[in-house]
Amino acid sequence: MAPDTPFRSAEMSMVQLYISNEIGREVVNALGELGLVQFRDLNGDISAFQRAFTQEIRRLDNVERQLRYFYAQMEKAGIPLRKLDLDVDTLAAPTTSEIDELSERSQSLEQRISQLNDSYETLKKREVELTEWRWVLREAGGFFDRAHGNVEEIRASTDNDDAPLLQDVEQHNQAADVDRSFSGMNIGFVAGVIARDRVGAFERILWRTLRGNLYMNQSEIPEPLIDPSTNESVSKNVFVIFAHGKEILAKIRKISESMGAEVYNVDENSDLRRDQIHEVNARLNDVQNVLRNTQQTLDAELTQISRSLSAWMILIGKEKAVYNTLNLFSYDKARRTLIAEGWCPRNDLPLIRSTLQDVTNRAGLSVPTIINEIRTNKTPPTYLKTNKFTEAFQTIVNAYGTATYREVNPALPVIVTFPFLFAVMFGDFGHACIMLSAALAMIYWEKPLRKVTFELFAMVYYGRYIALVMASFSVFTGLIYNDVFSKSFTFFPSAWKWDVPEGYVEGQSIRAVLKEPNGYRYPFGLDYRWHDSENDLLFSNSYKMKMSIILGWAHMTYSLCFSYINAKYFNKKIDIFGNFIPGMIFFQSIFGYLVVCIIYKWSVDWFAIGVSPPGLLNMLIYMFLQPGTLDMRLYKGQEVVQVGLLLLAFAQVPILLFLKPFYLRWEHNRARAHGYRGIGERSRVSALDEDDEDDGHMNGNGRHSTESGEGVAMITQDIEEEHEEFDFGEVMIHQVIHTIEFCLNCVSHTASYLRLWALSLAHQQLSAVLWSMTMAPALASTGIGGALYLVAAFFMFFTLSCIILIIMEGVSAMLHSLRLAWVESFSKFAEFAGWPFAPFSFKQMLEESEDLKEYIG
Amino acid sequence: MANGWSIFIGLAIIVAMCVAAWIFSPKGENQVLWRSSLILSFVSCYLMWAITFLAQLHPLIEPRRSDLRAKYIEHS
Repeated sequence: MAPDTPFRSAEMSMVQLYISNEIGREVVNALGELGLVQFRDLNGDISAFQRAFTQEIRRLDNVERQLRYFYAQMEKAGIPLRKLDLDVDTLAAPTTSEIDELSERSQSLEQRISQLNDSYETLKKREVELTEWRWVLREAGGFFDRAHGNVEEIRASTDNDDAPLLQDVEQHNQAADVDRSFSGMNIGFVAGVIARDRVGAFERILWRTLRGNLYMNQSEIPEPLIDPSTNESVSKNVFVIFAHGKEILAKIRKISESMGAEVYNVDENSDLRRDQIHEVNARLNDVQNVLRNTQQTLDAELTQISRSLSAWMILIGKEKAVYNTLNLFSYDKARRTLIAEGWCPRNDLPLIRSTLQDVTNRAGLSVPTIINEIRTNKTPPTYLKTNKFTEAFQTIVNAYGTATYREVNPALPVIVTFPFLFAVMFGDFGHACIMLSAALAMIYWEKPLRKVTFELFAMVYYGRYIALVMASFSVFTGLIYNDVFSKSFTFFPSAWKWDVPEGYVEGQSIRAVLKEPNGYRYPFGLDYRWHDSENDLLFSNSYKMKMSIILGWAHMTYSLCFSYINAKYFNKKIDIFGNFIPGMIFFQSIFGYLVVCIIYKWSVDWFAIGVSPPGLLNMLIYMFLQPGTLDMRLYKGQEVVQVGLLLLAFAQVPILLFLKPFYLRWEHNRARAHGYRGIGERSRVSALDEDDEDDGHMNGNGRHSTESGEGVAMITQDIEEEHEEFDFGEVMIHQVIHTIEFCLNCVSHTASYLRLWALSLAHQQLSAVLWSMTMAPALASTGIGGALYLVAAFFMFFTLSCIILIIMEGVSAMLHSLRLAWVESFSKFAEFAGWPFAPFSFKQMLEESEDLKEYIG
Repeated sequence: MANGWSIFIGLAIIVAMCVAAWIFSPKGENQVLWRSSLILSFVSCYLMWAITFLAQLHPLIEPRRSDLRAKYIEHS
């Protein structure tokens, strides 16, 4: 069997697995590590809740929730998580008992942590209360000490209705009778703490409900207190309200409570109060000690957890994936086996078999796991193996679409054509060297840089091999264009010398002449004499335009050839004769001819033969508009050749239009005449109905008795085609669209390659402008000022070169090159009708999972 | 050196390189990758070089400029 190469997607097999129920989990685990099987859902008609392993998944969900709770607690406590580096730590597949253990452990841990948390919160609350009480005692004590001096005056004001409400307190500060107390006057008080922003409302409500029958005193607590339930700091005030009568006091208490104030017990007697303060302080100390201990225990517990939390999270994630996969299987109750179906690469079947064998052996089971390859008429998924070099290239192709199963992988030519066409637009040796060093650096420090999570860099890093190839080709094209930061190299002697007239004065226009009119030419790239000459654009435009056409023609012809390879591989002769050959003739007789003319015109020494050179653009236009007449002659017999080619090209149009649809109709009718009918069986092959497998065999052996690997792909193709009833109208319309598209595209796509010229021109001109605006004046200035100017100018020059010419121009050239690959090239051969192979793989799951991202380092 | 025949000499070299790339590509499942990439790169580079060379083989215009110092011209 041929190995799977990047040339085509791997050959796939539909397999059926019979797994003993006991080792189902282990088997799926092993296959997940392997990552080569894509399981089909055999329980499509059963809802997610009714499936066999829903219970287990729920349990794992719960464990996952607990683990996330730990993580949240750790974040709250500021304990760092030890992330799991999948390159270094390998996690052995857990046994069921290990998972049970983990689940129990996390259960108990959760309880413990929430307990610790609860007690921490209670203690914290207690601490706040005690702190508040202490403040109340301290502040209220101040009131009392001051107030006792004024009892007489207060009494006077309460006894005597005529007494003025406001009197200067200090005037009556004489008869300080400490022994007399408030209780003697039937005055009670309420002391407490209230949030500062509520004080105003509190005062107003009290005033209104008690109609002013109160005396309120308050002071601010200087330090903010922490509300334990929300963890926010609140500034509070201590208040003491004096009033008479039990009822009024009760009312005040109620209002205080409803306003969210805390009322504390304060004794009037200063000795008792002192004792109270001592007591509160002692209790506060105790609470703070316990609190510290609790915090330490909690932190220790969480630190303990933080060491293995990532590993647990990943284990649970994997376990969940395993059960989700097991839910896709169908369960045979009678034989106590799980039946699974899925796609896997045919070449990896032996590996899968041996893995399954290992699992069975390890479990010590006598019943082996059976794996059967089954024949099916379903289209297999497209599986394109990649390595770290091809991965990024494959990604830019997959961004366009998934190639049809077994068709030529469009990424293979893209590995060279995409960077090369980029380089044609980005041709500057200097810029290319900077880019090349960046790419090489990314490859040299491949491992440490992989961990960088900055998104923009991660994207560039992902495409580091593309950048490497692009930069290498750009170095080459830079040498060809002889551009290095818009200056030129003089590696070889020029083919031109200046033709200096007698008595030359500066400013006089001079022209160059060839040193040897029939001999030496500049051997590699563009002659540097053209640089900075007055007419260099005239020359380079003509050269680059023609080069764009030739490269475009080569690229499209190359791409078109793949359609032949595809048609041949799928054994569709009609695609060769009805599409490939007429298409190729059409394309070559117009644009192939143009390319030949371009090269011919270059190879003729027009001055030596004394003929003025014809314009090729006019030639092509006249070839269509007035066949048979010539503007200027390029070679002898040109009219005849051109008319002949034109007729040849137009003769291809009806062939393109009609050959394939009529051939298909003829084939269809012949089959009908022989008595064949379309097979109207279902496309579903499943273990659920046993007969289907035989059905599949019959399909395979019915008409095409092919047993080889290639045969299967064809059978799939044929049956798929026959599945839809042959509809001539549809086929015809399809072909008409294809023909129109192809013929018009030949013209528009060729023109599209002129972007190569436009972008390389823009790049070269931009870098010339940058040089002339920064470095050129700086290099012309002298002295110390000139030196400083040069430093500044170089800084500008280098930064702008990197930002504008390398990054911006690079991105733009890349996008244009991408378009040339996607549209101009792929439209010639690739069908993009496949569906991607998405195997059940732990590696992929961990890479793509958003939830697990923060646990993997 | 470096006249019209260079195109064919270059072609011969490139063909030799392509053959060498075909033969010496490391065996294994990535052989096709090596062959395709190497040969395609050689051909593309040759194409570009050949186009550039051909465009200058029989030039229809010549460089022209009027900002040269007399001393510079003597040296070149």
